[in-house]
Formats: sequence, structure tokens, C-alpha cells
Amino acid sequence: MAYEPEVAAAKFAEADPRDVLAHAVDRFERIALSFSGAEDVALVDMVADLGDKVQIFCLDTGRLHPETYRFLEKVRDHYGLDIELMFPDPEAVQQLVREKGLFSFYRDGHQECCAIRKIEPLRRKLANVDAWITGQRRDQSPTRAEVPVVQQDRAFSTPGHPLVKFNPLANWTSAQVWDYIREYEVPYNELHERGFKSIGCEPCTRPVAPHEHERAGRWWWEAATQKECGLHITNIREDDIKPARASA
Amino acid sequence: MKITFVKKILADGSPCRKCGDVQQRLDESGQIDHIDEVLIADERDADSPGMRLAAELGVARAPFFVVEDGGERRVYTVYFKFAKEVLGGGEGKASDAARDILDDNPDLDYV
Repeated sequence: MAYEPEVAAAKFAEADPRDVLAHAVDRFERIALSFSGAEDVALVDMVADLGDKVQIFCLDTGRLHPETYRFLEKVRDHYGLDIELMFPDPEAVQQLVREKGLFSFYRDGHQECCAIRKIEPLRRKLANVDAWITGQRRDQSPTRAEVPVVQQDRAFSTPGHPLVKFNPLANWTSAQVWDYIREYEVPYNELHERGFKSIGCEPCTRPVAPHEHERAGRWWWEAATQKECGLHITNIREDDIKPARASA
Repeated sequence: MKITFVKKILADGSPCRKCGDVQQRLDESGQIDHIDEVLIADERDADSPGMRLAAELGVARAPFFVVEDGGERRVYTVYFKFAKEVLGGGEGKASDAARDILDDNPDLDYV
């Protein structure tokens, strides 16, 4: 019987992350954990208890902090697990750098660079698994407020290759993740001790103040108004807007 | 079959960069020959043809494509998906397809 993410999401809505992971590996043989080198190391710790059933990969953009590279190696040694590093297509990176330089994201926005250094390698990796695991949590950003524990992956599924996405930490807060890390003495990235709540590429990540949101530490130079794909139709009466069948 | 391409002008009067990228891909690939109509969604003018079509179809982003076939209308907000499913072409460069995925799922930069 085909896997039904919505049914599983309801069943595991309040479940402990370890139970979600156990269910995930029970249902999917080709399953991978995307590890960012940040506090999602808690998931690496949980996955390590399951043996080698879950592939672990990290998107090595080539622009990570030296501390993050050292941390990846530390995790590899600590758990004795393989961590597959996914690299961007060198030709695409070369073309970007040749045409726009090494810091085009400060001028043109980060999406072009992220697409080349993160999304394309991620897509390549996910083409070879049937499910993946992320560290996404509802408290990370307003756009993640509704993240379910299990979902059909909308971004990378294709008609011939449905992909399921597990977010075992969806219900946990940042504090719960850190309680876990401390309680189980899980190694963590030293950047967290310097005010980094979220850890991405070095040029695009900065420490944040305690009251600031995680995402405030990313792409801080971009105003919200620069997210230009939205169609701002505030001048149109709501009555005029009708639902349509959308294919994408 | 009728294909409409809707591109946007931002509220400050500048052209939408993503729309320009898609237009360039259509031009370079020759796919522009399959486009029957190009409409402008001008954020300064709710009555501009593209804005009215977006409102009618409930589309909240641009650029987008509308494919009318046999009385049915399908909306595509992802270029590579449109190119693959409607024009039967390839996805083009992997980096372009990745950019489309990110544009349609902006939260993915935060992985």
C-alpha cells in the first residue's frame, strides 16, 4: 500500500522525534538525513542509535565556516558515521563567479548562489532516495509555523518519484533541542557559543541578539520587499479573487 | 491550445528580475514562439491585464503561465515545470531548475 504522509502526520503529530525516526526507517529503505552542521546534530545522535539505516549528507557549499568543517569532522569521528558531502556543480559555480564575482549575493540577492550551491546538489541527492529527514522546526521562522512532522515533499517530488519528508523536530522548540544536546552530551558547533543561532554559509550568516529571531542571522541585508516573486495585489478587491486550479 | 505568459512590473516601476530571466530563457530556447500572448501585471495598476488575470485565477506570484486547452485552464508558476510538461522540452540547465525550485519554495534556502 502506498505511503500516506497525511495519515502518518496525524498519527505522529505529537510524537517524540525518536519515534518518528523509528517509523521513518521502518517504512523507507532509501532514506537520508540532511545535516546542516548546526543544532540538528541532535538528529544525527538519534539516527546513530538506529545503526546505518539512514544516509547522512551535508550540503558543502564551499563557503561554510572553518568551524563548521571542523565540526563535521568531529561528528564523523564521534559517531563513526559516514557523512556524505554534496558539492555544487563546479561549472555552475565557476560561471557564477566568473560573471558576478564571489560576493554577488550582497548585490543581487542570495537566491542565485543558494540555487547553485545548495538546491541543485540537494536535488541531486534527493533523486536517489524515497524519503528525507530535516531538522525543520515550527519555531524557526514564521514560514515554518505549520511544518508537519511528515509531509509529501512538494519541492522535489516528481510524477514518477514521490518523495516523503520527515521533520521529526517540528514540534520541538530550540530550548528542547538544546536540552537534548546537553543531556546526551552531543557535540555541537562552536559557533553557537558565539551567538550564532542559525548556521549557514560564512558570508551570509551572523550572530544574533538573544531577542532576535533565528532567521535574522541570515541575509540581513535583504529587505523583505526584495522577495520579489510575490504578486502584490492589494489593490484588487478580495471578492475578485477566485480559487483556481494551479498546476505548480 | 493557447499559452499566456504573465510578467510583472514592480510597484516602484522596475521590471521583475525573475520575469526577465524567464523571458531570456524563452527567447534563447526559441520557446517564445509557443507563447500566444504576453500580459503585463503592473503592481501600480490593479486593472492592468496581468493583474486582472492573476486575480481571476487566484495567482499570487509572477511570472506565471496560463495554458488554455479544451476549455480547461492550467496555471504554472514554475518555468521548468511548464517547459517540461507543456512544451515537452528538457529542464534546461540544472542551476536554472534549482533556481525555479527555490523561487517556488523560498524557505528551502534555510536548509
